[in-house]
Amino acid sequence: MINPYYLQIASFILINILLGLSIYITLCTGQLSLGSAGFMSIGAYTSALLTVKLGLPIPLGLLAGGLLAAVMGLLIGLPTLRLTGVYLAIATLGFGEVVRVVFINWESLTSGAVGIAGIPHLGRTILARLQAAGFSPESWGLKNNEFISLTVFLILLFLTLLTLLFFSRLLNSRVGRAFQAIRMDEKAAEAMGIHTTYYKILTFVQGAALAGFAGALFAHVTGYISPADFTYHRAVEILVFAVFGGSEVLWGPVFGAGFLTLMPELLRGLSEYRYFIYGTILVVLMIFRPQGVIDRPLLNRLRGRRNEGKDAA
Amino acid sequence: MLLEVRKVSMIFGGLAALKDVDFRLEEGEILGLIGPNGAGKTTLFNVVTSFLNPSAGEIFFSGEKISGLRTHEITNLGISRTFQNIRLFDQMTVEENVMVGRHTRSRAGVWNSVWRTGFQKKEEARIREKTEELLDLVGLQGYNQSPASSLPYGYQRRVEIARALAGEPRLILLDEPVAGMNDSETEEMARLIKKILGFGITILLIEHDMSMVMKVCDRLVVLNFGEKIAEGGAQEIQNNPQVIEAYLGREEE
Repeated sequence: MINPYYLQIASFILINILLGLSIYITLCTGQLSLGSAGFMSIGAYTSALLTVKLGLPIPLGLLAGGLLAAVMGLLIGLPTLRLTGVYLAIATLGFGEVVRVVFINWESLTSGAVGIAGIPHLGRTILARLQAAGFSPESWGLKNNEFISLTVFLILLFLTLLTLLFFSRLLNSRVGRAFQAIRMDEKAAEAMGIHTTYYKILTFVQGAALAGFAGALFAHVTGYISPADFTYHRAVEILVFAVFGGSEVLWGPVFGAGFLTLMPELLRGLSEYRYFIYGTILVVLMIFRPQGVIDRPLLNRLRGRRNEGKDAA
Repeated sequence: MLLEVRKVSMIFGGLAALKDVDFRLEEGEILGLIGPNGAGKTTLFNVVTSFLNPSAGEIFFSGEKISGLRTHEITNLGISRTFQNIRLFDQMTVEENVMVGRHTRSRAGVWNSVWRTGFQKKEEARIREKTEELLDLVGLQGYNQSPASSLPYGYQRRVEIARALAGEPRLILLDEPVAGMNDSETEEMARLIKKILGFGITILLIEHDMSMVMKVCDRLVVLNFGEKIAEGGAQEIQNNPQVIEAYLGREEE
């Protein structure tokens, strides 16, 4: 019933949702940052090194990963504030590449292109702890690897829901309105008394922190990371989550990450043709629905229908 | 004195959009800023709200120097504005636009918003209440949920005014509020402006529609090619030969 393979895909979907949200949140103030892969790698390496070399517990590694990515976000965000649109995209993409090259060449710390193996696995570590305390998954009718996959999935699900709650509340408030105002017309927003610099930095740092946190989770779910995991392909992939799903509303990147992670798996039977289909879907979508699958009117329609349903019941 | 513009110049390259412009605005009055196209009226608004930094001169708001401050700080002090070419937040609803206008008079930050604290809930309720009040005032009750961009032009101008008022300004700068409106709409806008004045809010008004200016303004300042060429009561200005030459004469066509 509990298939570790399915659960693993589900776990990757959740990590990708976090990554999609990280680019979305920065985009909320109209800043297109392609540094997500860079921030993700900072989070991943930080947590991996802290747990492998210093033996710190995983939760501390995750927090440190998110935190260091946030600090880097602040350092990158401040000087790039005056850049907009494609210029900011290029600068942040460049940042991501610099980070990757640093990880490749700083061999004494990161083992270079070989990467870091043997990173404590989130599920296995928990299982080991529980077994030490006398618990056996068999008492729940689960095999060890089933228990591991299930634990990882549930932890990620919890963290993703928490993140969604955080941002849906934030966006639905005075702060969120300020974000939107800046995105739509920065000058007019300023005339409303909105401290645009503060809010732009805020979303940049939040996006960086979330990408770093997701990267740290990635490290502890795969158990192995190398600079090849964080190339600009990854940055573009994350961007596509938001663009495909829709970058106007919170649920856009959630849908985009879910759909685009799942689809290649579903099409696995078509082997080498699957990325052909992947590409075709993207092109078709950009022609017919450039704002992404999920946009505001669609959400309103769905909400309206739900409310009608309630009235009827 | 609420606003004092002291010898303000704004030079773009070699072109002086404003040259040593000097005027004062008393609390509670409405001053009309008129002049032919390109006279520097909107530039003056942009300088007062720090969209532009003046090349020379200083601006004081209730005794405090505001030139050099950032736009949002100036809004905080109590100066709101509307825009000549309407700058609503298009994809937001009417209500959301006005709520954004309340930003400067509310405080809830990330912490309060995410935890939905009592403070945040109370403040949000107050924002909604105020928004409702303002939409009533400008005659747009019932349009709360309409996308701002879907409204007719005249209504959009009123949303802009409601949004500017949401920040509880002491001074509001209106940039051509009746541009493109018909007579009855203009009439309504004049009534709205009088109402705003009735709340004790000082108004600086840019307007081309002379009947409107004559109707609502106490005093006028006339700009031409960036220079103040006249200042005084409406009647006085109407008979000023320099003004007639620069502006009113051509306006008749």
